[in-house]
Amino acid sequence: MNDSIMPENKMDDLKFRRSIYADPTSQDDEIIAAQNSDPARKQLAQELCQFDEKLKQAMQVPVPEDLCSKLLLRQTFASHQQEKRKSRVHLALAASVTIIAGIVVSYLQFSSSYTNVGDYALAHVYHEQSAFSNNDNNRVSLVSLNKKMTAFNGSFSESMGELISADYCRFDGMKSLHLVFKGLTDTVTVFIVPKKEHLAFTDKFSDEKLQGESLGFKHANILVVADKNESLTKWQRTISDNISWSS
Amino acid sequence: MKVFGNKKTSAQVLNTEPSKNSNSMATKQIRYEALVKALHGDLYRYGYWLTHDKQVAEDLVQETFLRAWRALDSLKDEKAAKSWLITILRRENARRFERKRFDMSEYEEANIMDTQSTSTEQEIENQWLRDKIAQLPPEYSEPLILQVLGGYSGEDIASMLNLNKNTVMTRLFRARNQLKDALEKEPEKMRLIHE
Repeated sequence: MNDSIMPENKMDDLKFRRSIYADPTSQDDEIIAAQNSDPARKQLAQELCQFDEKLKQAMQVPVPEDLCSKLLLRQTFASHQQEKRKSRVHLALAASVTIIAGIVVSYLQFSSSYTNVGDYALAHVYHEQSAFSNNDNNRVSLVSLNKKMTAFNGSFSESMGELISADYCRFDGMKSLHLVFKGLTDTVTVFIVPKKEHLAFTDKFSDEKLQGESLGFKHANILVVADKNESLTKWQRTISDNISWSS
Repeated sequence: MKVFGNKKTSAQVLNTEPSKNSNSMATKQIRYEALVKALHGDLYRYGYWLTHDKQVAEDLVQETFLRAWRALDSLKDEKAAKSWLITILRRENARRFERKRFDMSEYEEANIMDTQSTSTEQEIENQWLRDKIAQLPPEYSEPLILQVLGGYSGEDIASMLNLNKNTVMTRLFRARNQLKDALEKEPEKMRLIHE
């Protein structure tokens, strides 16, 4: 090899060799100048460039023909999986929403939105206001009233007034007896409600039109709701005097 | 860069910023396909020279592109795509060592690609060179592969391998020097360099 050091060259041989071995295609001005000033160096650079070409050829190992399509296929599957996961999440979400909706609906249907008996009684009376009137001619006998009272283990000894209607109804989800009496100016509603704890007991309640009073008995609460012309105390007294409870 | 119209060249596709796309999923798909088509060969060869194993190289490339797909939105510059992918592949390869710790330091001749039975003179030369490249210590062969095959400059290689440029240049010098020494031990191969 060319080991002679030529003093006219700025770059020494070792440095040139290191540089050209590190990068045969170097466009560094100093390297180019060094090559141009010395044919032996130029030849070395050319040899190394050729050698790089051979190396490049050798390095270009054949790429599996199906690799490209494999990569694309695999990605398609991967994002399909992702989509599937997403749709599963959507399905789960939809299911959860349905379940929650169901729970809410049944909760609203079967549970009270009222916090005390008074509010509920008033709402109930307003709801059925149109169904009864003080002028109804229909009367219910004491016998059939007492038949219905057996459900509450109670009975009335004598008629407490003109009973227009006596029917079981749902009093905030509880089976209750709903009595409608003829009152002074409008009907008087009496609820016989089983003792349950989910509504707070309120002994007196009213709004601008109606008033109500409840009394707690052994097996049931009895609520009287009427307009403000009625004496509820009188009604409650009549009821208490008349009612008797078996067992 | 905002692209109007439907026809996109792969360069435009690669360069499109994901945030500006109304249909980012479809665009992502197009960018990804362009990347795979343009660069899977380079990446496979790089993986091959890193591992000296066809199958492992293929697995590495698959892992690399799968990760690339997930992180595709972070690739903003089309020109950086190849070195970005190489970086992912190198990381995947390192992970493979952490996982399996199988011994790759022992170079096995049988693993090195034996290309086809068409043993032309050219192929015999190539095979000989492949063996010699594979016998280089990995810290020498890796920069050489990046330089010769990848066409990267010393600075590029330094930043990809987290080395300083002088170290890279020294390793490149030693890599070629060792290959040349190997040639000189087998005078009949000298024409590889002198031809």
